[in-house]
Parts: sequence; C-alpha cells; structure tokens
Amino acid sequence: MSIFEYNGSAVVAMVGKNCFAIASDRRLGVQLQTIATDFQRIFKIHDHLFIGLSGLATDVQTLYQRLVFRHKLYQLREERDMKPDTFASLVSAILYEKRFGPYLCQPVIAGLGEDNKPFICTMDSIGAKELAKDFVVSGTASESLYGACEAMYKPDMEAEELFETISQALLSSVDRDCLSGWGGHVYVVTPNEVKERILKGRMD
Amino acid sequence: MKLDTSGFETTMPMIGFGSSSEMLDGFSSVPSFDLPRTTDFDGFQKEAVQMVKPAKGTTTLAFIFKEGVMVAADSRASMGGYISSQSVKKIIEINPYMLGTMAGGAADCQFWHRNLGIKCRLHELANKRRISVSGASKLLANMLYSYRGMGLSVGTMIAGWDETGPGLYYVDNEGGRLKGDRFSVGSGSPYAYGVLDSGYKFDMSVEEASELARRSIYHATFRDGASGGVASVYHVGPNGWKKLSGDDVGELHYHYYPVVPATAEQEMEEATE
Repeated sequence: MSIFEYNGSAVVAMVGKNCFAIASDRRLGVQLQTIATDFQRIFKIHDHLFIGLSGLATDVQTLYQRLVFRHKLYQLREERDMKPDTFASLVSAILYEKRFGPYLCQPVIAGLGEDNKPFICTMDSIGAKELAKDFVVSGTASESLYGACEAMYKPDMEAEELFETISQALLSSVDRDCLSGWGGHVYVVTPNEVKERILKGRMD
Repeated sequence: MKLDTSGFETTMPMIGFGSSSEMLDGFSSVPSFDLPRTTDFDGFQKEAVQMVKPAKGTTTLAFIFKEGVMVAADSRASMGGYISSQSVKKIIEINPYMLGTMAGGAADCQFWHRNLGIKCRLHELANKRRISVSGASKLLANMLYSYRGMGLSVGTMIAGWDETGPGLYYVDNEGGRLKGDRFSVGSGSPYAYGVLDSGYKFDMSVEEASELARRSIYHATFRDGASGGVASVYHVGPNGWKKLSGDDVGELHYHYYPVVPATAEQEMEEATE
C-alpha cells in the first residue's frame, strides 16, 4: 500500500444552485486497523470557505494549521475574508514550495465567491489545481466516488437535494473501500447558513 | 517432484459417459496439474504468490464448547484497498457433519475443501463408516504439504462432530495442522480473539455461544478494514451442522450501540445551577 493509503480517506465536494456541499468520511486508520471513527478532515477557513484534506493524517493537520495561520494574517492585513479562488492559489503555492518533499495530502477546496457563486477545486499533492463546475473528489475511495458522483449528479440542485445526493454518493463509495468510511460528515453551505450533519454509515 | 494427485484418481469406471464427455476426462485418466512452461520457475512462482497475496483479509473463528463446535466468519473479499465483494461464503460445507472455513485464496480454499469432501466420501464408501475430523484434517494437511512452496494460500479450520465428540483442527498452506479448542484466522483475528477469549466458558448454551461468536466477528469487522459484510454463525452438533444466523454487521453495530440523540437540554440546566 502506498503512503497515501496509510490512513485512508474520502472527500467529495459538489456544486448546487447558489450553494455547495462538502463531505468526508470519519475514519482514521493505520493501514487495516481502525484507530478512530471521529477524525475531522473538513475544516472551516471562514463562513463561506471550507477545505477538505485527504491523505496522510499528520500532513492533513499540519497543513490545515499552516493555512489557518496564513488566512488570519491575510484577514489582519486586508481586513476582509479571502476569496475562494485566491485561497486556492495560496494552497497551490504552499504545496509547490515543498515540491521535493511534499505534504502527502490532496486538498479539496469549496467556497462561495463573488455574488455567492459556488467555487470548487481539487489539487494533487504538489499543487496542480483542477477547477470543476460540478464535483471534485479525493482520497482512497476516489475512483468509486467519481463513478457515484457522475451517476448521481444533476446541475442546479437546491440545498436539501444536494445534501441527499452527496451523502448517497459518499456512503455508497466508501462501502466499496476497506480504508474509508465508518460514518460521514457533510457540510451544506448556502449564503445564509452552514448546516453540518453527521451521517450514520456502515461501521465495517 | 511428485505431486499428490490421488484426489483425482478413481477406481470407479465411468459408465454411461464414455469418451464423449470432455468435462469428466480430467477425473477418469491419471491427471496432474500442468506446470507452466517457463525458464524461471521460481521467479514465476514468486509472481504467482504476490498475485494472491492480499487475500488473507478476513475474520473466521471456531471454538469447542459443551454443546459442540461454533463456527463463524465474515463475508468480505478485498483486493488491496478495494472491496470486491461483501457476500462471500467463507464457511464451506464439506459434508453434513463437517465444516471448513475459508481464509486466504478463495479459489484455493473452495477447490481443496471440495477435494477433501470427495476424499471423505470415498473413505466412507471404502470403510463403511464416517471419517473422523482428525482423519479429514490429516488428509487435507498432507495434500497441502505436497504443494508446499508453490504459492497456495489456505488458512482453514476443519470443524466437525465424530465418534469421539466435537473436533476442531487448524490447517494451513505451510502444511501445519494443529488441534485445539479455540482458533481465529485472518487479518481480523487479533480483534476476534480479544472478545472471544474474554467471553469464553466451556459451559455455555448454544444461544450464549452463538452470541459470543457473532460479537467477536462484529468487533473484528469494526476494527479491521479487510473484514465486513455479514457475520454468519454455524453450530456443529451431534446431528451435523446447522446455520444459526447471518447478520449484516452494519445493522449489528446500531443494534449493539444505538444512536442516542444529543442531550442539549441537560447542558442548559447545568449552566443555570
């Protein structure tokens, strides 16, 4: 198993009508052994910007702390929150700085930009940005997630329908992966509120 | 190298089929496995072994108690990280009073258990009495020993009831054969042993023993990534084996640990005190 599969993870983000949803699994494992079932992979940068990090758990936590630090500095200097596309460029630059000793993470960034237009993107571990209009996936279950999202996704879904779709896509994909699952964590973000939900999934 | 092909030999003439059926020709003539035509047999063997390597991801267990033998297993097949199936039958019915468990290569286990069933039946016909569990496990162990080093992957337990009472043997592809009271095989076995060993008593009823077996498999599926699916529990008694239950472990989790709604009201009360 490769180093990216050491801890196991699954992260997915989807775009809806003036809203977005980002979801992850909750398992932390050491190869096949499950250590925790409440591991956080999705972090809030500000009310309209979330980042989900898949891959090696230690790098997930360290990279998140670095990014929060950089965003707080930005807030102090610019007296406003960072826009999602700017943040994505920041993440990409930070990852490329470590080109020859990279953070072993694949981030998924989701936010509401100008005029509350949803923005999602994913990156590989050295910062290659991939923007998408519909959905992005990352983690050990990524192949299953691509299939499930492709089949279930429709454009311009409202918040409730988007929640159902992303939850079903996540749960059915992690049920085909030994290294991720054990529950789900979904954030649905609209211009006015953030709804956080925990999914009841198969615990095997 | 002399391979053990006695399982294929039969003294019964194949009447009624003649030479028209190609399918049965493999059983009527003196056969052997074709060895691959390669210059580097050892290297080829290594590749073959690596191909089946990821397959011992499973949890199976069996234990002897007052009322017989309890046998339980999960039902997940995994290839590295991918779950190829959640509904594999890992408890193989060799004959109506003997069960074998599957861990390792699915094809290897299925084939050799069926082969063992054939040999057991031939023994019955030749000796007018059932084969003992000890004898059956010895037959299997000897067959596997003759293929030692060739890349078979079999970690099985033979459980049955014969004239001496309940019997349980562990047999693996190295040719090892161990008699015992409690065994668990597979990547989830350490977790199953933890629950099984702490809850085991010889004097248990069938219900208590089946609940212990089910719980052990459930706990292994929770902790081990390569085990999951359905926890099947079988009981082998003096009249043969009987399947007791097949519970989906996803549902078992919420049965054992129901989701309790968060007590937000309680927190508010404490703040005002």
